[in-house]
Amino acid sequence: MMNVLLWMAAILLILMILIGGDKGKRSFIAIFLNFGVIFFTIFIMTIPKVDPIILTLIASTVISCINLFYINEVNNKTITAFISTIITVVILLLFILIVTESAMIQGFGAEEAEELSVFSLYIGVDFTKIAASVIIMSTIGAITDTAIAISSPMREMFHHYPSISRKELFAFGISIGKDILGTSTNTLFFAFFGGYLALLIWFKDLSYTLEEIVNSKIFSAEIITIFCAGIGVALIIPITAWINSYFLIKQRVKNKIINKDT
Amino acid sequence: MKVIVNLFKKMTYKQIVWYTIILLFFVSSVFFVYHNHSFYERPIVEVIEIELGDSTEMIDMHENKDRLYTQQIVAEIKNGDHKGKLIHLTNEYSISGAYDQEYHIGNELFVSIDTKKKESTDLIGTIMDVKRDKYILLVAWVFIFTLLFVGKKQGLFSIISLAVNAVLLSYALDVYLNTSGISLLWICSISVILFTVISLLLVNGFNEKTYAAIVATLLGTFVSLFITYLVMWITAEKGLRYEEMQFLTRPYREVFMAGLFIGSLGAVMDVAITMSSSIFGLYEKDHNIPVKALKASGMEIGKDIMGTMTNILFFAYISGSIPMLILYLKNNSPLIFTLSMNLSLEMARALAGGIGIVMTIPIGLYTTIFFVNRKRAR
Repeated sequence: MMNVLLWMAAILLILMILIGGDKGKRSFIAIFLNFGVIFFTIFIMTIPKVDPIILTLIASTVISCINLFYINEVNNKTITAFISTIITVVILLLFILIVTESAMIQGFGAEEAEELSVFSLYIGVDFTKIAASVIIMSTIGAITDTAIAISSPMREMFHHYPSISRKELFAFGISIGKDILGTSTNTLFFAFFGGYLALLIWFKDLSYTLEEIVNSKIFSAEIITIFCAGIGVALIIPITAWINSYFLIKQRVKNKIINKDT
Repeated sequence: MKVIVNLFKKMTYKQIVWYTIILLFFVSSVFFVYHNHSFYERPIVEVIEIELGDSTEMIDMHENKDRLYTQQIVAEIKNGDHKGKLIHLTNEYSISGAYDQEYHIGNELFVSIDTKKKESTDLIGTIMDVKRDKYILLVAWVFIFTLLFVGKKQGLFSIISLAVNAVLLSYALDVYLNTSGISLLWICSISVILFTVISLLLVNGFNEKTYAAIVATLLGTFVSLFITYLVMWITAEKGLRYEEMQFLTRPYREVFMAGLFIGSLGAVMDVAITMSSSIFGLYEKDHNIPVKALKASGMEIGKDIMGTMTNILFFAYISGSIPMLILYLKNNSPLIFTLSMNLSLEMARALAGGIGIVMTIPIGLYTTIFFVNRKRAR
């Protein structure tokens, strides 16, 4: 029981309940549900016949359900955030798939060779598609976060000014998005910087030249992950703003017709 | 056509200049990266002909099926003494491609030329690596264009912030590696302060909100680091498997802690700025708002963001281990062993980040209220 992870998980749980109350508890459970989803996905990925891309789409759907519907609740704003997330993930996944295939950043790099020597590498799964899946999965948390962060104030705005035009509503969504763009990208950048610290020290210690670093598989994979994460967080902004303005205005038109009828 | 003309008419002189500059940068950098072969010392070749050889079915000791192919490649050398000559290469690859790769016509590769056999006119060589610089550049441009298109000025600031922080990190590591006897953690503490100040000023500008966020970020990060240290000290680091830490040339604990420190910084900053912006927003709407109301609203906002923020970190850390986990599992490694070997450090990082995020909510709240009260007193 004297395990670091257990201790830290317990501290996190206590803090979340103390500060967040019931919602804090749900947030904590959501983390473990997400962990379960990732783990289950990995397990199915080991079956060569299953396409990792389709699996990733399913996993992203489940994860966004947990992040949006479980932590918050099922309502109009989480539903539009959900639709926006799925659209963004599909677009981003297509882009990432093209990138991983042409840049050949799948699997493991020469720097990991020693560690890999004990394993059989011919295991029949498609590492190119898995590489694309890794990039999407690293960004999915940030994508759902941005979606809900735009969707919720847009709904508030519509609520306070029901006569607002679709164009104005869209512009409002974009302006909210712009405000959070900087901090969301920062969150991801630093998370990746922290993760890649050992690699950076390694490159410097073994005096790799700049051209060797830039062209190496591991560095390319990591820098491409950072860029794709940034693209994902930016892309969700106009998509969420558009989906929300579309649905809110449509809803108003519908309500008007109902009002006229009665 | 009319639409485009109208678009140009709408743009101001300044905008046109900006777009032209960006476009020029784009075109020239892409042109450069496609024609930079002479800048490389390592020989580069372009694949011009491929002949697919035999394939063999592979079944390893764990009953995993795969297929191995052999490619006979003819390629043209693009730089160095042999420029323009043809070279023959052999490539073996598997369908899964964990450590190998199928090549296509047009791919550019780094090779080493076998100079011993000179009797034939054609050269023979071995493939060393793929030339990836152009792909990185293209993705970088897609990133830049997306951010500028969506975020305009804020997008530009995010790009600048990323670039400045990356350079700063690289410089800090140089200082660490070139000075003996200085701890990585010290270097990182100083860097963290600089990262925070630079990023928050870029994101939010010079104002009270930013100052409150900077103070809250630094307090939050150091408190979370302190808690992590305390837990590690109490438990004697049981459950952390440093064995599988990759790319180690330095003391592993120091590298791990430094990574943990920097990794949670972005998320903590995000929470701090959200708290301070929203509380200052409430204060600006109503200067007489009681502290109690500010506290209540602040806690509500904090509750809303803590779950999603922790999730962001969690996904960013765990996802990177997916290929390695699959490799372990396919090699029949026991489940618990696989998980603890590959995920213990990532989990510790994510949890430490989560603690940082949650702690920053009250810290950010009280710091901002302090700044609000100071402003009121004036």
